[in-house]
Amino acid sequence: MLGYISKRVAQMALLFVVFLTLLFLLLQAQPGDFASQFLDPRIPAANQELIRQRLGLDQGMWGQYWTYITNFFTGDLGTSFMRYPKTVWAVIVERIPRTMFLFTMATMLSYWMGFLSGKMLAWRRGGKLEYGITLGGVFLYTVFYPWFALMMIWLWAATLEIVPINQFLTPDFWLDSPFSATSVFTAMIWSSVLVVGGLLVVQTVAGRMKEYRTQVLLRRTGRVLVFGIFVWYWASSSMRPFAADITHHAVLPVVTLAFIAFAGVMLITRGSMLETLREDYILTARAKGVPDRIIRDKHAARNALLPVVTSFILGLAFIIGGGLVTETVFSWPGMGELLLTAVTSNDIPTAIGTLALIGALALIAHIVVDIVYLFLDPRIRVQG
Amino acid sequence: MTTTREKAGETGRVKPGESLIEVNHLTMDYKTKEGRVSAVSDVTFHLKAGDSLGLVGESGCGKTSVALTLLRLQASNAEITGGEILLGGVNLLDLSEEEMRLHRWSDISMVFQGAMNAWNPVYRIGEQIREALDLHWPVKLTHEQSRERIAELFELVGLPPEAMDRYPHEFSGGMRQRATIAMALSCNPQLIIADEPTTALDVIVQDQILKELKKVQAELGMSIIYISHDIAVIAEVTDHMGVMYAGKIVEYGGTDEIFATPRHPYAWLLLSSTPSITGPRRKLAPLVGEPPNLMKPPSGCRFHPRCPFATDQCAAEEPAMEDLGGGHLVACWNHEKVPVGLSETPKEDL
Repeated sequence: MLGYISKRVAQMALLFVVFLTLLFLLLQAQPGDFASQFLDPRIPAANQELIRQRLGLDQGMWGQYWTYITNFFTGDLGTSFMRYPKTVWAVIVERIPRTMFLFTMATMLSYWMGFLSGKMLAWRRGGKLEYGITLGGVFLYTVFYPWFALMMIWLWAATLEIVPINQFLTPDFWLDSPFSATSVFTAMIWSSVLVVGGLLVVQTVAGRMKEYRTQVLLRRTGRVLVFGIFVWYWASSSMRPFAADITHHAVLPVVTLAFIAFAGVMLITRGSMLETLREDYILTARAKGVPDRIIRDKHAARNALLPVVTSFILGLAFIIGGGLVTETVFSWPGMGELLLTAVTSNDIPTAIGTLALIGALALIAHIVVDIVYLFLDPRIRVQG
Repeated sequence: MTTTREKAGETGRVKPGESLIEVNHLTMDYKTKEGRVSAVSDVTFHLKAGDSLGLVGESGCGKTSVALTLLRLQASNAEITGGEILLGGVNLLDLSEEEMRLHRWSDISMVFQGAMNAWNPVYRIGEQIREALDLHWPVKLTHEQSRERIAELFELVGLPPEAMDRYPHEFSGGMRQRATIAMALSCNPQLIIADEPTTALDVIVQDQILKELKKVQAELGMSIIYISHDIAVIAEVTDHMGVMYAGKIVEYGGTDEIFATPRHPYAWLLLSSTPSITGPRRKLAPLVGEPPNLMKPPSGCRFHPRCPFATDQCAAEEPAMEDLGGGHLVACWNHEKVPVGLSETPKEDL
């Protein structure tokens, strides 16, 4: 198992270098060099040459490539053009929590809702309700996303005024805040990650118990404990009003994003569940006299989960692409919005840094999925 | 822990030699978009506690439909239009879904085809057997007690007890089938339905599995219904047999008697198409044609289009079951014409 994981990690590292190389070559394929693009043509030629030397542009392609790669692996992403003299890394670090917050929330919500509803749809196959919900799912899955997001803003923010229009916080409210938005974000993300992690630990530990009754008891107390700590932490924290402000702004983008992603998850779960329900072992379970609810949740859904986890990988691609659109539509200053402004304002170092980071995140997610699969499917565990 | 115990539930254990299951005039249709398929019609058979019965016939003749209906697991588009299934005097067709669920596995269990798919791939073999024990054992077993019980079952079917902690894909086909038998035995059922128990296995393993089933039946005294298209399997393990054709039982009687003197032309041809190692050498006569489409079953006797002895009467009137004596029943107008001894006729002459 360890061998399998380290093999996957090595593969991903190699893939990342290939990805960086491609980014570099893409850059090289652009006409002109940076100096001629950005330097005032009135600067004397000799000085221009000096600047070229300082930027390392006289080194030739392979020399530049070497500098680029080594800089990358020492954590030097260069300096942002549009936010000079801030480094690219500093700009990105400020944006990451915001994007992570938006997408972890939306992803968790959409997978939770999508899996539950897909499971129910497959189980109640043939009813009018099932038909209607499936149709709605197909609509959400195929709808032109920016239009849908604008409609959501129009309805909930502009017309009903339940949630604020755009932005990620109310600037006036934060004027004399003792906290930076990033630190509040980071606290929110860590606390939700810890909740998810805590729930996973509870589930695993309870699953190891031998007696069914101890399992149920452990699971219940564990859940209460995890949520209790979460509520206690935020109730006693002085960051609470600021976190509430951010949450208020986050509701609409999170829900919109979750709705769009949820439809896909629901349809995939439904299909995979329908397939699983036709398997012989479902008949075996029925013959054993297993109650319907347990057949659905323990025998069918557990196996139907595998393709859903796979779809999660594809979902990551959506999240990165959709991130650009979502963050632009909702003026949410995250990584997607950063990439867009970097590209439109010719801030090449920031654009590369952002792309590289998104690539790295996608690759890491792949490894995580591979590891999750190890736990879900005993057949892979053996091969590894 | 003992393997014999008092049954919870209303049926109670049927004493050996008394009637355990009586299927009377069971008739079932499948509703499809194209129309109704008459999958099982007027099937009647009785089985005493401790006996074994075989149902034999070509694919699609309704054997598996009958088997699944005994557990009320027929497909959702199936409709039972008549008949009754009495288990120890209780008509299973009258029970509520919840009452039926309690009879499943504790009174009637099933050995499915040896394919991988009868086991859920993501749970250990032992866990899946334990699930049945948790549902049906009269008292709640602790983890150690159920492991003990599973080890006992594994020993009975010739598997090492430590194998219970393995996953289905780590078992060979033969081991998986042994484990399937262990699971079927787990709650001391009165009846086991073995649906093609050896079909997916090679002949050597087939033989081992059948011997295993015979052995545990002799030890534990439950009844077994074997369902197979393989007439050799039926010959080896059953006391009585029914030959099914197009959803009907066309011949019913002692297995030895039917093998010695088949009276229905279909049974006669089926036996003639199977080689025998011990009998005299002869040419095999293949069975010509295919079973009919049950959407529009043939008029009269359903076998008449393929029957070498068919007369006008066969196409017009359906023959009733006739008792030839000694419980040997046959539904054929012309059973006197069926020769004693097996056919060697090449198919061109049929």
